[in-house]
Amino acid sequence: MSAPHTRVLVCCGSGGVGKTSLSAALAIKLARSGLRVAVLTIDPARRLADGLGVGALGNDAREVPLRALFGDDGGGRLDALMLDARSTFDNLVRRFAPDARAAQRVLDNRYYQFASTRLGGSHEYMAMERLLELVQSGAYDVVVLDTPPTRHALDFLRAPERMSGLMDQGVLKWLVMPAGVGGWRALEFGSEAVSSVLKALLGEGTVGEIAEFFDAFRGLGDGMRQRSLAVRALLRAPTTRFFLVSSPAAAARAEALFFLAVLREERMPFGGFLINRVAAAPPAFSRGEWSGRSPAEALALDAVDAQCAEQADLAAAHAKAVAALRAEGPAGAACWLVPEQSGELHELSALIALGAALPDAESVWGADGTGA
Amino acid sequence: MTMSGQAPRVVLVTGKGGVGKTVVSASLALHYASIGLRTVLVETAGATNVSALFGRTGSGYALTELRPRLSTLSLTPEAAIEDYVVQQIRFKRLYTMVFKNRVMGPFIDAVPGLHDAVQLGKVFDLSRERRAGGHAWDRVVVDAPATGHGLTMLGSARSMMELTRAGPLHEGVKQVQDVIGDPRHTAVLLVSLAEGLPVNETIELWERLGESRALLRGVALNLCLPSPIGAADWRDGSGVLDAVPNGAALRGLVERRLQRVDQQAAAAERLHAATGAPVRALSDLRAARDGLNGRPWAEPDLLRLAAQLDPSGLGL
Repeated sequence: MSAPHTRVLVCCGSGGVGKTSLSAALAIKLARSGLRVAVLTIDPARRLADGLGVGALGNDAREVPLRALFGDDGGGRLDALMLDARSTFDNLVRRFAPDARAAQRVLDNRYYQFASTRLGGSHEYMAMERLLELVQSGAYDVVVLDTPPTRHALDFLRAPERMSGLMDQGVLKWLVMPAGVGGWRALEFGSEAVSSVLKALLGEGTVGEIAEFFDAFRGLGDGMRQRSLAVRALLRAPTTRFFLVSSPAAAARAEALFFLAVLREERMPFGGFLINRVAAAPPAFSRGEWSGRSPAEALALDAVDAQCAEQADLAAAHAKAVAALRAEGPAGAACWLVPEQSGELHELSALIALGAALPDAESVWGADGTGA
Repeated sequence: MTMSGQAPRVVLVTGKGGVGKTVVSASLALHYASIGLRTVLVETAGATNVSALFGRTGSGYALTELRPRLSTLSLTPEAAIEDYVVQQIRFKRLYTMVFKNRVMGPFIDAVPGLHDAVQLGKVFDLSRERRAGGHAWDRVVVDAPATGHGLTMLGSARSMMELTRAGPLHEGVKQVQDVIGDPRHTAVLLVSLAEGLPVNETIELWERLGESRALLRGVALNLCLPSPIGAADWRDGSGVLDAVPNGAALRGLVERRLQRVDQQAAAAERLHAATGAPVRALSDLRAARDGLNGRPWAEPDLLRLAAQLDPSGLGL
């Protein structure tokens, strides 16, 4: 079942730094080098679909017509997916329920219907589940994962633990009577105080429904816990790489460093920084050497002068910002600078151009592709 | 201010990540304080960016005074839940017993929408808080979480009502919804950038606002750049670059900026056409540079941004 040859690349970073575009550009680049690649976004804003020009994306893989677009024949393939948390959760329930009736009982539970789409962390957890499915399918050499902004990405990394904590028998014991007692009894807590607090907060009826959900979920617990463990292992695998995407802005850099600390703590493999939208120095220009033959020409020269000054300022500030980020990162950490692009990044040609500044498979995982 | 009586007391500022919601929220809040309104600027989901903007270190769930009439606090779901529960049951020890409990913790975390609803509840409490002779706060400005979650938060009271159906929490969130869902009391300000994707996302966000659309008072188009030259002058004068070394690259530099300026105008038009709300272009290069360096913003920069936003023109 396991397919250790599938490598995983996770792009993390704060909002607005271009994670989705860079994930797509990386996936395109890897696919064009002959690899079978899937790119998965959990961004509900459908940015990746825009970026890849494949219309609507869904929970199922959709092939990006690389060959038609480039005429390449490197043997590569690119599939794009957008996470549908609800259907992934539903599939998981069907897979691990002891029988169809038990599955239906969970799927019909009102609390489940809320939880599967609105539960904090459910998207993140389901993305991990989907990632595992893609890896285990054996259909890909690389899976690229675009994550939500950092604070949510944190939920994301810890989602497996959190979900298995939730499924822990301890909670069930507290909440639910043993099976066969005739339905659930919501508040069989050791302490009257605990029960009164929950009632005060949620109302008795709600607590009952939630208890029923946990009861219905019982049969699924073991299977789900196994999946959580597998995801946990996958995130720490030697072939997995986390890229921290940042822009030169101070807030984005701070988020990247915050995330780096989390990676260290969780012992998840850091692949390097991708710093997006770095301004280049302007071409040399000396206004004093030129005079216009007309007022319009003088204005044009002034405009060029002003733009050059602005661009030079910006490039210097960006260079400082990049140096500051690298100084805070681990010594010798890989760092790719992606130049500021003109035009719209949801055009495929722009995504391909971005690829030039991004790492290839060898610089991520080494010549033998093992990442060891 | 004669307007202040009618303008909504609560302003939720939202938009996708990285568009500058915090700066827009801060400039609006500072504007209110500067015209004599007692204002509280609320950060959500544990974010603590406001204090750095004002050159302070750290803020938490307790109010921090930034300026006369301007205070800030940073909401975390955990603190908001504790606040709510301790209010409800009045015994902190009970709270600790249940919520800090290893077994119950994950269960509480799993109640869908609870995190968002209690934070919204705290915003509601602030807007209703009394002080001798009137409301404690004339304005509550909320730097709401990025798009997806901002929506969740706005709709959280309604979700919670559906989930609970009855009971004390149901009553509580109903009260919150009555105020937060009412355009007389609450306004939404969307923040966007002028690029294609952020504009698409802002429009998507607007579409998903559903019943909350009535709350929208305006769209702030952040980080707009000025034009270095009029289009006609550039057309007539840029030929001079043919003789200049690097002429093509220099021409490209200016033309990219001119394209960007066109793009800004098109973005403003699209946003207005989609939402029907007024769109305000905000531009302040010096201030944007401070964001790059992580330096605190100067008050005049924030107020200049607020003037471009023109809150009273938006009925805010």
